[in-house]
Amino acid sequence: MRRQRRGLKLLALILGLSLVAAACGGDDDDDGGAAEEAAPEEEAQQGGEVVDLGTFVGDPPEHIDPALNTTLDAYQVVNAVYDGLTDIDASDPDNPEIVPMVAETVESNDDATEWTFTIREGLTFAGGEEILPSTFQRSWERASDPEFAGDYSYLFNFIQGGAEKLDGTADTLEGVEADDENMTLTVTLAAPYANFDAVAGFQLFMPVPEEAGTDAATAAEWENGEMFGNGPFMLESPRTDTEIVLVPNPDWDGTNYDEVFELPEQPYLDRVTFRVSTDPDTSYNSFEAGEGDNANIPPGRFNEATSAYANTTDVAILGSYHFDVNHRDPVVGGPENKELRKAIMQAIDRDEINEAVYEGSRTVSNGITPEGIPGWGADLCDDCVYDPEAAQEHFDNWQAEGNELTEPLRIQYNIGAGHEPVVAIVIDNLAAIGIEAVEEGIDTETYFTQIAEGACQICRTGWFADYPTYDNFMYDLFHTDSLGGNNHGFSNPEFDELVDEAKQTTDPEQQAELFQEAESILLDEVGTIPLNWYRGDYVFNEEKLGGFTQTNFGLIFYEKVWVKS
Amino acid sequence: MTSFITRRLLLIIPTVFLALSFLFFLFFTLPGDPARLIAGGADRSIDEGVIERVNERYGLDDPLIVQFKDYWARTIQWDLGESFLTRRSVNDILNEKATASIRLAIWAIIIEIVVGIPVGLLSAIRRYSIGDRVTTILTAAASAIPVFVLGFVLQWMFAVQPNKLGWPEWAALRTQGIGPDSWALFFIPTGEQWRYLILPAITLASVSTALAARMMRGSMLEVLRADYMRTARAKGLRERDVVVKHGLRNAMLPVVTLIGIDFGVVIGAAVLTETTFSWPGLGSEIADSVTQRDLPVVLGLTLVVVLAFALINLLVDISYAWFDPRIRLGKGDSS
Repeated sequence: MRRQRRGLKLLALILGLSLVAAACGGDDDDDGGAAEEAAPEEEAQQGGEVVDLGTFVGDPPEHIDPALNTTLDAYQVVNAVYDGLTDIDASDPDNPEIVPMVAETVESNDDATEWTFTIREGLTFAGGEEILPSTFQRSWERASDPEFAGDYSYLFNFIQGGAEKLDGTADTLEGVEADDENMTLTVTLAAPYANFDAVAGFQLFMPVPEEAGTDAATAAEWENGEMFGNGPFMLESPRTDTEIVLVPNPDWDGTNYDEVFELPEQPYLDRVTFRVSTDPDTSYNSFEAGEGDNANIPPGRFNEATSAYANTTDVAILGSYHFDVNHRDPVVGGPENKELRKAIMQAIDRDEINEAVYEGSRTVSNGITPEGIPGWGADLCDDCVYDPEAAQEHFDNWQAEGNELTEPLRIQYNIGAGHEPVVAIVIDNLAAIGIEAVEEGIDTETYFTQIAEGACQICRTGWFADYPTYDNFMYDLFHTDSLGGNNHGFSNPEFDELVDEAKQTTDPEQQAELFQEAESILLDEVGTIPLNWYRGDYVFNEEKLGGFTQTNFGLIFYEKVWVKS
Repeated sequence: MTSFITRRLLLIIPTVFLALSFLFFLFFTLPGDPARLIAGGADRSIDEGVIERVNERYGLDDPLIVQFKDYWARTIQWDLGESFLTRRSVNDILNEKATASIRLAIWAIIIEIVVGIPVGLLSAIRRYSIGDRVTTILTAAASAIPVFVLGFVLQWMFAVQPNKLGWPEWAALRTQGIGPDSWALFFIPTGEQWRYLILPAITLASVSTALAARMMRGSMLEVLRADYMRTARAKGLRERDVVVKHGLRNAMLPVVTLIGIDFGVVIGAAVLTETTFSWPGLGSEIADSVTQRDLPVVLGLTLVVVLAFALINLLVDISYAWFDPRIRLGKGDSS
């Protein structure tokens, strides 16, 4: 018995000392908290490797072929391996601009039906294949091949003959003309479109080398092999489900491009390893364990992460989180139910959602189009404010018109993606003014298909900009003719007319006015219910990394990142 | 014995056929159009022409029975097809995932055997002692703690905190990934590999080790009460010989069954552990493929899991004969 007591005492002592040691260790780590003074910025230097834990959280990417990729995370790799005709200069976040990149100049005719891209001389893919106008023509023919069936292939409808190529009735894109001698690529559009220069920089239109092939089988082999492009990086080895490793493309020279991009001659880093984490908390733990140099901030740890580490949460991301309304639904849709929609709009406490669910990490929105989109306007929505009294008045007016809620409103959302608490707060807010609502969770994989097919009454949705244009939000989501983007029947002739006119207007100020007017109509009609805009979500090792920033597309330009001495 | 083994091996064929056929037809009852999901339509609507072409490419618009025949015609040649989503060969995916899963499973089972059986045995021998009571509490806790919670706690204790406290590199374990993937004799980690293996193996083994310990204890307690044990003691044998030579082998039968079942489970269903540690195994791959409606991957990987279960159960049944010589395997025997 005595031996046992001594043994227990010793065990207790050891455990106690361990706890004390752990407590004393605390968070006094060397990772550099936000409270510390920033060290003077040193000059960028060559060398070093970075392990990225924040890009691929969940699943490994399905595609990294620019003609096939549909996801934001894989776009990080696509953007590192390929350069497009144009890119966005967001150095002044209030005035983002489309700047030529692989194209030296971009011009359109007066009515924006014909665009001419002059390709810079001397650019090549890794390995030396020259980039010519015909390179783009071949790449676009490949991407518009019906056999590829890429998710974004519908963008070729912008181009004359694109629709015919996609449905197989034509063999080539009629509206694309490549003149290698004069280094010009001339694109004739199916309809006037003033923002085609922005779309032309999108991944779908990036050039690919001949090795990428023109048939689906070769393309699959290509993207599962040592893929390379004309961008600052290339794959060191075939990607796996656990990592994608990039090394500098020796044939890339950033100084070939406009000075506004501030690109170095060669990437500073020797290697960038994108590790795939299957769980966001595991990814963050890995970062804290020193196994990587950045990570996404997992849900529920925003304050903890931002107080301990340098982060990108001050970056406004071009993404909107909102609830769509099914305008074909007899209860919530149509002009006769506008008062009900206004009641819902003003009953929702967006600040409460932002604080309780997102720990203040989002920007409460008063519109759909986020700040950073050229032409963005502030305060377009008078009703996007929490005003329960006004909401009650609208609801009472709706009822006074002879309407009645015979059953609870249904709020749809995709399960397992963190929307449950948002929906719970919305239901609570609606109950406060007498509107009964219930949640209706739908499995994530089939959610968007189901709501597009009519399951939506008031359904959670979101949208990240594909390219930095106002119409990517207004036309793609709410125009009557939108190919599949407008799933819930919002149709307003005045809105459509304004958007159509704006798309053709080449003067940026006039275009902005038209789009803002259109968005005001959308919001006044409560065509959708905005909640918030996304913000940057990375933490990173400030002691090690220099030049680490997140763009408003959520991208890290690793060609500008360096490892400090 | 030989005829028994041959019969059991042949039985694997209808087992695999029924299991996969059931899955095949079940797949098409799930909501969601696979073609739409393949074309990326999960979050945006797709041009109908694109959907048509996807259906054509993968034969998804063929009658179900034609797809079924085509599937088996390929599978019996061990051509498991290609992933709908990534177009990677399922055979390649399988090699990658199955080896990772089997390695992790082997170590989880080793922990289960090396820890669970002796703990259960000692608990039974020293019934109602402090050791027995502590073991009872620990095993109950281990089976109650959710696997992913345990995983995160272990990550924090053995990887995050060592980094924050500045421990030497060799003392810190790794939170995720398969690491350098360097092994000797297929499953023995070499170099840095062990630092990636320890935490997922312990996490994966936690519940099954606790159950093995409890089952060993219960089974051993029954055996210790048996008449032949009293006879063996009366003959003057040492207590250790009585317990190990006479008691343990008899008590092992239910435990061996449990370990056999666990082996199959940890190979094919270790989704939570694999997710927590980003271990690229079969369980998480199957789970992802189901949600993404990637039928070739679901069927290909499930085939391996079914085969593994069948073979492991055969080995378990064969081992009964070794543990208990009274059991004779072959025609007419109940086992």
